[in-house]
Amino acid sequence: MSSTTTTAPAPAAGSPERPRRSFRDLLTALPWIGPSLALIILIVLFPAGYMVFSSTRDISQSGIDRGSAGFQNYLDVFAIPALPRVLANTAVWVVAVVALTVVLSLALSNFLNKQFPGRQIVRLAVIVPWAASVVMTTTVVYYGLQPNYGIINQFLADVGILDSPDFGFTKNATSAFVVAIVVAVFVSLPFTTYTLLAGLQSIPSDVVEAARMDGASHRQVYFSIILPQLKPALAVAAIINIINVFNSLPILRLMTGSIPGYDADTTTTLIFKLIQSDRAVDQASALSVVNFVIVIAVIALYMRIVKPMKGVDE
Amino acid sequence: MKNPIRLVSMTIVAGLALSACGFGGDSGSDSTAADGATTLNLLVPTYSDQTKSLWEDVIKGFEAENTDIDVKLEVQSWDNINDVVRTKVQSNQAPDILNIDAFAGFVEDDLLYSADEVLSPETIADFQESFVENASIDGKQYGLPLIASARTMFYNKDIFEKAGVTAPPTTWDELEAAATKISALGDVYGYGLPLGSEEAQAEAGIWFFGGGGGYGDASEITVDTPENLEATQFFQKLATSGLTQPDAGASDRTPLIDTFIQGKIGMIVGLPPTIGQIAEKNPDLNYGTAPIATKDGSPVTLGVADHLMAFKNDGKKQDAIKKFLDYYYTPDVYVPWVDAEGFIPVTKSGSEELATKESIAPFLALLPDAQFYPSTNPKWSATQGAMQSLIGQVAQGKDAAAVLQEIQAKADS
Amino acid sequence: MSNGVLTREPDARPAQPLKKPSRYATGGPGSGGSIPGRVVAGILVTLLFLLPYGIMLFGSLKSRAEILRIPPTYFPEQWHPDNYVTMWSTPETPLPQNLVSTIVISVAATVLVLIVALPAAYFTARFRFPGRMAFLFLVLVTQMLQPAVLVAGLFRQFLAFGIVDTWLAMILVNAAFNLAFAVWIMHSFFASVPQEIDEAAQIDGAGRWATLFRINLPLVWPGIVTAIIFTFVAAWNEFAASLVILSTAGNQPLSVALTKFVGQYDSAWQYVFGVSIVAIVPVIILFAIIEKRLVGGLTAGSIK
Repeated sequence: MSSTTTTAPAPAAGSPERPRRSFRDLLTALPWIGPSLALIILIVLFPAGYMVFSSTRDISQSGIDRGSAGFQNYLDVFAIPALPRVLANTAVWVVAVVALTVVLSLALSNFLNKQFPGRQIVRLAVIVPWAASVVMTTTVVYYGLQPNYGIINQFLADVGILDSPDFGFTKNATSAFVVAIVVAVFVSLPFTTYTLLAGLQSIPSDVVEAARMDGASHRQVYFSIILPQLKPALAVAAIINIINVFNSLPILRLMTGSIPGYDADTTTTLIFKLIQSDRAVDQASALSVVNFVIVIAVIALYMRIVKPMKGVDE
Repeated sequence: MKNPIRLVSMTIVAGLALSACGFGGDSGSDSTAADGATTLNLLVPTYSDQTKSLWEDVIKGFEAENTDIDVKLEVQSWDNINDVVRTKVQSNQAPDILNIDAFAGFVEDDLLYSADEVLSPETIADFQESFVENASIDGKQYGLPLIASARTMFYNKDIFEKAGVTAPPTTWDELEAAATKISALGDVYGYGLPLGSEEAQAEAGIWFFGGGGGYGDASEITVDTPENLEATQFFQKLATSGLTQPDAGASDRTPLIDTFIQGKIGMIVGLPPTIGQIAEKNPDLNYGTAPIATKDGSPVTLGVADHLMAFKNDGKKQDAIKKFLDYYYTPDVYVPWVDAEGFIPVTKSGSEELATKESIAPFLALLPDAQFYPSTNPKWSATQGAMQSLIGQVAQGKDAAAVLQEIQAKADS
Repeated sequence: MSNGVLTREPDARPAQPLKKPSRYATGGPGSGGSIPGRVVAGILVTLLFLLPYGIMLFGSLKSRAEILRIPPTYFPEQWHPDNYVTMWSTPETPLPQNLVSTIVISVAATVLVLIVALPAAYFTARFRFPGRMAFLFLVLVTQMLQPAVLVAGLFRQFLAFGIVDTWLAMILVNAAFNLAFAVWIMHSFFASVPQEIDEAAQIDGAGRWATLFRINLPLVWPGIVTAIIFTFVAAWNEFAASLVILSTAGNQPLSVALTKFVGQYDSAWQYVFGVSIVAIVPVIILFAIIEKRLVGGLTAGSIK
């Protein structure tokens, strides 16, 4: 495997005039990407295909396949009156959580990258919400916000912010949705912050120092030197956040679960309600496929705009 | 490849084809272990923190008598058991014996043994008739009643005295008057109305039954009826005029009963385990129980029975299942089990033995007036889900008639 | 390797084979703060992030009766540290086995992800080949699927493989569904290592794998560490698939075991909270151990 390579830009991958080379390139790549591909094909392919398959079947509430349903499940899903509201909620949910997470994480990672006594402890504290399961973090906040016996409610009443500890944060769609967003940002911060912190670590200090010598302010250094260098890590963190927030079930399920109607639902919690309340796993599969297509579209659009793949697309 | 989406879509199509041709059939389950012993899979939900050990005791006793049968126990919380069961059924891996509330959907798919196939005549004869009726479809019994529970009203005597309410209400009007007086005290709520998703169908059902309505029967679901509308409008009025706790439409039952136990609520409908919870969490609570108030004062309650059911699967385990179930329902095994869980027994021998027990006596007395969910109607599961996720809207001021129509439509779809 | 078949990424940066660690200790907006100011801010951040877990910790030390009292108590009236002893032998679930199960599954899944993702991340960052973008997108797609709906297919598949109710099944699930982040984050770190370093190594006669392990790996430690934590934490807290695939109580991870304390009418919250605290600790320990790598970053890995 000796190599003397050129640094000239390569022709576009798979360009028609060099098919044989393309094929050989692929063969060369196989030992490197093969294991990943094998794992995906072995484990992910079938369940994903099965989900699509289920969405075209008529499945009874006990789980028995009663034959083909064609596209009826999709028609049923699109006929759900609450769907427009649910889609709008989903958009608000994803945009709000991801945007807040990214902004706060930038600030937090910047802070954690500075020298100060006790930084190690602060870094450990920041990772705790990541280490804890989302379900448990949400459960604690949920119980803390319960009318009367919630500790957070009691505290807010004791310091005079609430008139009475029986305020129901999780009892109406709007406040429950806001609380859910806060929790979602809270649990997304550690992961995003650490990804950015890792990115900050790999920025060469001499670049920064050179800029400082030229008289650049802190702010100028950050926005013109550090932030651009942070882009790859930021782009990856944002992608993973978008996907995870899109598909996040436990936070909304707990925070808005006792609220009647669909005013606080996203596509993900609606899928859950189709399974649990309506016992319609076939329709839930159809909505999952729709949800999946939406996520792919959003991510493809994101990649087209942001071009997170460093190197080739630059 | 320039177009990643194309590759993804090809992948999905390939997966689809694979699943369409490869997995329609029976994947088959091992009914016998290598040593020739039969393995029975038993899947049960968690009633209390003793549930697992109580079942383990039953299994230990059974296996001692039947060395050729292994019983494999799986315990799941109520939150998760439906997902687990559905996934297993979808893959032809149903448990051999399942403990859950509703069985009609399984009967509809012809998955269950009937009672006479897996129980001796003596065991069947020991079930109380009302429960047998509630466990039968078209005259054939499929559900094996396991435990029963009924609802009764719990009231806080200290609050009643403070508010000047002399006796627990028997009619809706009296209830409203009592709740008005109690709410006027300021720091407590008159009536605890849990219309949140946890058990909204139970609370609403009690009001429906109390007004002469209900959920229908084995052949028809009737949510949108004049009687139910009147009942709904009545409890809607309680909620919107501040006679209940705030946000009644999003209040789950368990936390609300805890709030009652802590002395913050005048009246609430409770269940047999509520008595034990009060004793554990707030033994000083000065409370009483009384029949549930109804429109005209005639007694009614909601009865709920959970069931065991036996799946046919490959049909090879019928004898083993029968042995296990007959063993389980012998009074020496069953009565201590149901007693420890704090529920009402469903067998005649069991009720005789536990009739004088303090914690269930108030409920046993109500059973003759109990109304049940139409759980033998295959549409009941969807109806229950729709009630849970939608009825609470009336407490937020949404038109009662529209909400009932919405639920009825979901039930009929 | 023949010339030009696989072309290196163009590098945007000037060649800097020997980089120093970045300690631009005074950079960034709002950084003007003095050291005491930073310490105060640090304390506030720490308190905020620990708040829910403080509630959890104090809840786990209350008696069962006290935990749902009205009005609630901020701190236990009666301290019950014995909850942390009794929870290991409750009848609801075999907690010691659940802990072992969680550790085995998470560690194995993380190792598997590293083995599989590292070469893919390196290669896709360094070389072009047809289907490169498609491969990276496909990896990402695995992250986009809804676990709740996938479980039915997974269960079927593992029945066919004959590994239902085994750790192996859950190791594979956790590895496969957490591949995306590991590949992508390591990809982005490899892509920012100047390729002159590779060239220098190869001129010295190092093969491509040697270049990866001896030269690149030390330079991208922060990315690898982030990938390790991400994968480990995700596997540690996985619930939806374990719930259905692992039916034997002793095989189940802590995330599933927790639900056994939730009863129909009444839950043992002191144990739920206690187990949650116990479940956090190993992750924090893991982090404390490898965090130095993250901080050390390039220092540890500079070429000698």
